[in-house]
Amino acid sequence: MEKLIQELKTKIIETLSLLDMTPEDIDTDAQLVGGQTGLDSIDVLELVMMVEKDYGVKIDNKELGMKVFASVRALARYIHEKRTDTVH
Amino acid sequence: MNVRVFIIGMGIISPLGAGYSETFAALKKGRTGITPLSLFPTSHQEPLPVGEIGDVPHHEHLPRTHVLAKIAAQEAMRRTKEKPDAIVMGVITGGMPVTEELLMRGIYDPQRYKNHSTGSVTEYVAREVGCTGPVLTVSTACSSGTVAMKIALEMLRSGQSKCVLAGGVDALCRLTYYGFHALQLVDPAGARPLDQNRRGMTVAEGAAMFLLVAGEKPPDHAMAELLGVGLTCDAYHPAAPQPDGLGACLAMQNALSDAGVALSDIDYINLHGTGTIDNDLAEAKALHALFGVNLPFLSSTKGAFGHALAAAGAIGSAISVMSIAHHLIPANSGCEVPDPELNLHPVMVPLKAEVKTVLSNAFGFGGNNAALVMGDPEKSSSRRNVHREVTPFRILGSACLTGAGDTETTLACLYENKQIKGLMNPDAMTMHLPPRVVRRLKRLSRMVLSLALSAHKNSGTSDSPASVFFGTGWGPLSEVYDFLKKLFESDEQFSSPTDFVGSVHNAAASQVAIWFKAKGPNVTMTGEDYSFEQALMSASLLARDPDECCLLIAADEYHTVLSGLFDRSVALSDLPADGGAAFYLKPGGSDHGLRFSPVFLEYTHNNPHAVRSMMNSLGGKVRIGERFGAVFAGIPEAHREKGHQQLDDFLSVTGFRGPVIDYRRWTGEFAAASAVAAFLAAHFVKEGDLPSLHGHSSISPLDGKGILLMGLGEFVTAVEVLP
Repeated sequence: MEKLIQELKTKIIETLSLLDMTPEDIDTDAQLVGGQTGLDSIDVLELVMMVEKDYGVKIDNKELGMKVFASVRALARYIHEKRTDTVH
Repeated sequence: MNVRVFIIGMGIISPLGAGYSETFAALKKGRTGITPLSLFPTSHQEPLPVGEIGDVPHHEHLPRTHVLAKIAAQEAMRRTKEKPDAIVMGVITGGMPVTEELLMRGIYDPQRYKNHSTGSVTEYVAREVGCTGPVLTVSTACSSGTVAMKIALEMLRSGQSKCVLAGGVDALCRLTYYGFHALQLVDPAGARPLDQNRRGMTVAEGAAMFLLVAGEKPPDHAMAELLGVGLTCDAYHPAAPQPDGLGACLAMQNALSDAGVALSDIDYINLHGTGTIDNDLAEAKALHALFGVNLPFLSSTKGAFGHALAAAGAIGSAISVMSIAHHLIPANSGCEVPDPELNLHPVMVPLKAEVKTVLSNAFGFGGNNAALVMGDPEKSSSRRNVHREVTPFRILGSACLTGAGDTETTLACLYENKQIKGLMNPDAMTMHLPPRVVRRLKRLSRMVLSLALSAHKNSGTSDSPASVFFGTGWGPLSEVYDFLKKLFESDEQFSSPTDFVGSVHNAAASQVAIWFKAKGPNVTMTGEDYSFEQALMSASLLARDPDECCLLIAADEYHTVLSGLFDRSVALSDLPADGGAAFYLKPGGSDHGLRFSPVFLEYTHNNPHAVRSMMNSLGGKVRIGERFGAVFAGIPEAHREKGHQQLDDFLSVTGFRGPVIDYRRWTGEFAAASAVAAFLAAHFVKEGDLPSLHGHSSISPLDGKGILLMGLGEFVTAVEVLP
């Protein structure tokens, strides 16, 4: 789980071109959207694509998205629960 | 004088049918045209519902967008022999239906891409209907059709035109089908505007065109009167509407005051009502804020038509005309249980009621809000006099970007006789901006934001611009390419929502608006090599308040794959180049700053007299000699022969003796080169002389005169830069 959290932080920075941040700057439990990272709805959808592509996990509606992207830990937990072994 | 503008012809093609009669019959019955996509295969097990038009005549190599536009234009002109002296069209997808197919199949023959640009749609219609005047293309996302109507309205009010063909068109393509899906904005059950269970929009296609004339009294065959249009920008977010609906509310308010009608005059509102959760919420808030408890009949027709993007505002205008002509309030199709949170009471089945005045909304990406008021020509309650002279702008600040670098570097290179054409490092453009601001911006948006900030800074003023006018020949090529590449590489499984939002031509202008909180009109013009001139022309029509400044920007980016496929001048050039320029302008009134005005713009197809007409509009040869110390001629490489003939014609008739600068030799080949030329012209006029430049060995004094900036080739344009 901790490994997945670290991996996700790196992917978030890469996917969203957060070039002024390092993985250490992202608080695992802090609010991901609208918080210190300043992410918005388009960023969330960009991450939805990344999660589906890299982990085979679909997040196909806004309500679910809000829950899953509450924090990096919430995201990791969701991916951990849903990911299929055939992907990645 | 009381100039009124009437609709004397109308054409429409949509998922509800081809032509006025079919569309009206479907509206009257409350029929819907939404079906699962069949136009192209998709990666979806069950294709999403769309608003697709059946039986569109197929033309080899001619994009569907062009075909739809022509069908609507021909119907609009069927009842009259009058030829339009101008065309204004709203377009987003342009030739994308063909382009994406070619890219998907790996075909890289530039000849096959010749109808890619949004401008090519308008020019095709101009050739088909024989229009040789201003041919303008607007691309402000989903408000494009209504913005086109506004520009046409002002051209007629100002007396520049007597008869204008205006409207909007878009065709279904993978870019929009997958793009809105990636944004999770598509309702898998089909759009249910205002419904409590709505989940999004339905992407659609269509075209609606209108023949508009100016007059003091309605002509015999007037179908409706275009009373007014209001334009605003949220300056809030690249894609999402401002949640409180304030921008939308102001657009409606501006439309009513432009029309000279009261709230109580509105009998019916055709909503933007896309069916997305956020749009419908924001629009409802805007309506409550403006109308209070006295809301008239209202409905969204997007549950029947789907959302035809650039055509949406034009289709809304067509519905307004039909509503007035037949006293019909169309149904809010698709909605079963109105969302109590919206507290609106849409008309659920088509009904008969007296309709004299209609308000029609169209909102788009970039927070572009447009609202239009249509009236019964015989029962107009308008109380407004409009007849406005177009006055020159004053240049308060300006900036450029070229292959050499920023403004200072470009000028230094030019004075040292060094080359300025080429490509600038994109990071250098935005190095002074916070990484967070530019992280999602690719090459064109970076250029445009950087130019806007520099021009504003160079003006030395602390106030902010109220409106933004942007010209780009080809738009954000990086975003378009990256979106399609990801889509095709993943067998249409994945695409980037960020790139989709950034792929609209007006994305860069919306970034400028967000930065400056510029909440007035935000207009993007896309007329290939003449986009800068078209943007200047639209600014001169829409930014008239001498107390409010505006930003005028034009830029184009070079893209290694797409530029050479789309732009024939780039393909013929030996050196990749791009860049642009920005101007901070004050409309009329002031004594300070250079005078800057668009004087002439005509399409030259079958128009052998364009150069002579331009000379006349400049006041004839004596005036030209008296006022201009130099001519800057813009001749795109692909139209060199035609352009040189036009230039020779100009020089032989005027006998102009001053320096004539073929400026693309310095700037390189890119669509917005004329903006860089305008920047340099303004700089030299201010300095009072031309430096010794390539081909001109000595310094040429301008003797207190200005510079004439001419565009040649497919269009002939004239812009004056005067001391």
